[in-house]
Amino acid sequence: MSLHRWSPRWLSNFRSASWKDRGIYTGKTCLHLLNLACAIHLISEYIGRPSTMTGPSMLPTLAHDGELVIEDRLSVRLFPERISRGDIVILQSPLEPGRIICKRILGMPGDIVCVDPTGVLAPSTEHVIVPKGHVWISGDNAAYSRDSREYGPVSMSLIQGRLFARIWPLQKATIFRNPATSLD
Amino acid sequence: MLRRAWALFRTLPAFRQVPSLLYWSPTVLFATTALYVPIHITGRSMQPSLNPDSSPWRDIGIFDRASVRVSRDYQKGDVVALRSPGDVNHMLVKRIAGMEGDVVRTLPPYPDLIVHVPRGHVWVEGDEPFYSDDSNLFGPVPAALIDSKLIAIVWPLPRVGRVSRPETPRESEAQYRHAMATFERDRSRSAKVTFDGVAKY
Repeated sequence: MSLHRWSPRWLSNFRSASWKDRGIYTGKTCLHLLNLACAIHLISEYIGRPSTMTGPSMLPTLAHDGELVIEDRLSVRLFPERISRGDIVILQSPLEPGRIICKRILGMPGDIVCVDPTGVLAPSTEHVIVPKGHVWISGDNAAYSRDSREYGPVSMSLIQGRLFARIWPLQKATIFRNPATSLD
Repeated sequence: MLRRAWALFRTLPAFRQVPSLLYWSPTVLFATTALYVPIHITGRSMQPSLNPDSSPWRDIGIFDRASVRVSRDYQKGDVVALRSPGDVNHMLVKRIAGMEGDVVRTLPPYPDLIVHVPRGHVWVEGDEPFYSDDSNLFGPVPAALIDSKLIAIVWPLPRVGRVSRPETPRESEAQYRHAMATFERDRSRSAKVTFDGVAKY
C-alpha cells in the first residue's frame, strides 16, 4: 500500500485502504498542511509579502484603491540603519495599535524639519529636531494624510517594512526607487 | 580516512534526522516566534518581580505574542515586552502603569508632574524605579510597540511559575516586611494613576 506518495491511482488506493490507514494518512496530510501554513506565515512575516493598499494619503505614487504591492520586510529587519529619506515605509500607526499605514520618510534622526510648510496644521516657521531613533513621516498627498505633522516624529521601531514594488495593475508595475537627491 | 569518517557520520541516527528536522522547522519556528516566545530577561529594572538579587540566574520568561498581536489583549499591571521606542534593536520588559486616557503621576526624570496618556499610547514603568529606563525617561509609548506579554517564568527552576501581583502574606517577620514593601510599592504605583483626581486600584 502506498498511500503516502502521490500516484495516479491514489484515489482507488485510498478507497481500498483500511479505516486506520485512511486516518493515519489524513492526519499526516493535515500536519503537512499546517507546516506549510507556518512556513507561509514566517515568510510573509520576516521576508516579504504582497499586500493591498487603500486610502488617498499617498495619491500620486499609489492609487486610492485596487493596487497590489510587495512589502520588503527582510532588509528593514536585517539592516535597520539603511532606512533613508525618501523611502516609502509600512509602519504601525502610533495612534491606533493594529492599524498599518504607509508613508514616506522625510526626516531621519537629528534632522531639522519644518512641521508644516503649508502652515495649515502648524505655523510654517515652526521647526523641530527629529529625536534619536525616530523618523519624520509624511504622505505624498498632504491634504489627505494624517502623518507626523499631526502626531510628531514616530519611533523607528514601528516600521515593519519597505515598499518594494507594485505588481498590479500590470501596466503600472514598478519597482519603487528612492527618489531623494541631496543638495550641497 | 576523512571519507570513512564522513561515511560513519552519515550513518548516525542523528544525521538521518536532519532533513526531517529541517522540513518541520517552520512549525517549530512558528510556535516559538508567533505563539509563545521565550525571552531571556536581562537587567534589574523589573526587580523584585523579575531577576531578583536572591536568584543567581537571569530569568527566562515565556511571553504570549499571539494574544497581544491578534486581539491586543493587555491591561494595566501586565508585564509586557516592547520594542524600545528609541532603539530599533532593543527590547524592553516593563509593567504597564497606565493605559490611554489615564492620568499618571510621573517620577523625576520626566519634566511634568502628571501626564495624560494620549490616544493609542501606554505608560510603562519598571518595578525598580531607580534602575529603569521607562516612560519616565522617554514619555508615553505607542501601544503598537507592545510585542508580547509575560505569562510565566520557566527558568531558573525555583522561580518557575506565573508572575502574580504581590499579595499580603502572613509568614515570618522579615518575609512579611519584605512582602509588605513590595505590596506598598505596587499600591503606590497604582495610586499614581488617577481618574478625575481619584486613585484607581
